Amino acid sequence: MTVVAQGSGTLEAIPRPKSVVQRDLNLVRELSITAFKLKYTGSALGYVWSLVKPLMLFGIMYLVFSILLRVGQKQPDFPVQLLVAIVAWTFFTEATSTAMNAIAGNGDLIRKAYFPRWILVIASTTSALLTFAINTVLIVVVTLALGHLDLGWRSLLAPVYYIELIALVLGLSLLLSSLFVFFRDLGHIWEILSLVLFYGSAVVFPFTLVYDYSHKLAAIAGVNPVAQIIQDLRHSLVSPKIPPMASYIGVLEVVPILISVGVCVLGFAIFHKLTPKFAESL
Amino acid sequence: MKPIVEVSKLRKRFRLPLDKSTTLKYRVTHWRSSSRYRDLIALRDISFDIPEGQFLGIAGPNGCGKSTLLKILCKIYKADSGSARVNGEFSAFLELGVGFNPELTARENIFLGGAMLGLTRAQLRNKVDEVFAFAELEDFAEQKLKNFSSGMQVRLAFTVAILAQTDLLIMDEVLAVGDASFQEKCFDIFSRYKREGKTIVLVSHDLAALEEYCDRVLLLNRGEIIADGPANEVTTAYHRMVADHALTVQRDSPSERLPRGSADSGAKAVEIVSVSLLDEQDQTRGRFDTGASLTLDMKLLVHRDVGDFVCGMAILRADGLLVAGTNTFLDQVTVSSTAVGKVISIRYTIASLPLLAGGYVVQLTAHDFTGSKTYDGAYPAASFHVNNMGGHVGLLEMLGSWKVAHEDGVAAGAAVRESAT
Repeated sequence: MTVVAQGSGTLEAIPRPKSVVQRDLNLVRELSITAFKLKYTGSALGYVWSLVKPLMLFGIMYLVFSILLRVGQKQPDFPVQLLVAIVAWTFFTEATSTAMNAIAGNGDLIRKAYFPRWILVIASTTSALLTFAINTVLIVVVTLALGHLDLGWRSLLAPVYYIELIALVLGLSLLLSSLFVFFRDLGHIWEILSLVLFYGSAVVFPFTLVYDYSHKLAAIAGVNPVAQIIQDLRHSLVSPKIPPMASYIGVLEVVPILISVGVCVLGFAIFHKLTPKFAESL
Repeated sequence: MKPIVEVSKLRKRFRLPLDKSTTLKYRVTHWRSSSRYRDLIALRDISFDIPEGQFLGIAGPNGCGKSTLLKILCKIYKADSGSARVNGEFSAFLELGVGFNPELTARENIFLGGAMLGLTRAQLRNKVDEVFAFAELEDFAEQKLKNFSSGMQVRLAFTVAILAQTDLLIMDEVLAVGDASFQEKCFDIFSRYKREGKTIVLVSHDLAALEEYCDRVLLLNRGEIIADGPANEVTTAYHRMVADHALTVQRDSPSERLPRGSADSGAKAVEIVSVSLLDEQDQTRGRFDTGASLTLDMKLLVHRDVGDFVCGMAILRADGLLVAGTNTFLDQVTVSSTAVGKVISIRYTIASLPLLAGGYVVQLTAHDFTGSKTYDGAYPAASFHVNNMGGHVGLLEMLGSWKVAHEDGVAAGAAVRESAT
């Protein structure tokens, strides 16, 4: 027991919780709450910005694709599809680009203190996830109230797709954050790749557009997990009339799911392998 | 009983790249040259144990591997071979306030800093008021950390750092370079931990502090343990090593030659055989208060008659800053070497020590009047610590006085302007 007198009063030291898992989870919680808070403190609208950004993107995309280009006019509830997709995409891109810096941007912490390094990446992802969760709930509640969501038994699969998205984002975050320490071009490379993914995943137009143009192209685009997740989310949340990804690519549907799981496992493996080199390289 | 720290054949090598190759362009344009690097061996197969309850000091010149050793103990670096095991909970203070965020309030930072130590929010919630009371920051709980003075930040960081119960405390010297009052607090904590029988590892340049607190000191040089034993023995070895090294450097490189000339030109006609620091009662001490009396007592053994010579002393701060120095010639005191084989006792008394809190070392030389022949020299010859008395800051007690007068009939602003012109 440590009792130390200084100035006024004494201070008794606290025993740490026995469970290491409990300590680690607590640190994840503190770090993600901090990141979440810091992102929105100091600005007048605060959290609202995280909603304004995807809504703005939605507004522009709706104007360009739905009104000017008349894309998806035959599709039921295309604006709602657009909204669901954009919110998921915003999470994907913000989470991965923020996580890129989770290790490289915390050099001081890594050189001066010991804690499992993956905590920094998980905290960064959790913080993005928090914003995503609130946005998703808001949008689902509002569109449901307006009668634009046609929910059914198939909707029970929506959480599975969200979990797949989270696994993919987590895996990519672990990969990007650890590789970025040694290879700084990755920042630019990922920006370009994200742009390719944005259009390759049919975020702002119906996937049918790709399919009608070329079945082969649809098969290539369709095996990318982002396209599959977004298409299947549309199917399960918005309307049964929207075809799920399986109806475009058939049994190839397993490929994107395997990729998501694989990226997650690979992310943990590579991160684990590179961890001992972080402190020396930063 | 199992030792709390077991280090066995620990080896650590750093590869320092000779060119930076972290960008794609570089990799592409230099794809042929396998990346070039220089190996730096920071630790060479060192082994030691720390029994529970020991206060271990680690000393050594810059680049000797002490920080690397500490970081391996704290699991920040991974050893290339060998092992370092800590059997128990440890707290590491390599730097205070790691993980604190200036944009958050003091209260939020307690939760964050506590979490870095492994404490949960639930545990900390009941503790927050105590922390603020202890750090004397009760009125600033909801202030953002960035608005704190550096002293307030250090108080908060230190209080949080000692919050977690621990079996082993690992501290880098960063703690000793804070302001004087903070340094004193650290030493208070050391004493208390020592009394409670906790195991502590302290890396420091401050030999006086190591001597005062440590049961045992490891002396590292070039990645090897070159001395291991009771604090006073090892610090003596360190003094000798530094002195030897200073002389070697002097002989080897002309650019480092000091004006006093090389040491072998009249070597050891007079030898400094002992040095001690005494208080008013002639008691040997390692710590002094500002304003107290300090007497430097040195014994010189005369080997050869070189006539009258000069004996010089200087006080340096632990980091090497020359604080003050004088010699017998400047102060018009005669020292003669006529009694060959006899010991000369020389005392230099500072009636009222003007130094403020910190660690200091003493340098001694015996040389001829022109300074071209050095008979003997010792650096550091001795080291001491000045206690913190609170209040004044910096290096020296200025012994100044204030005078404030209120003049009638003149507006305050006008008075200022007047005095400015």
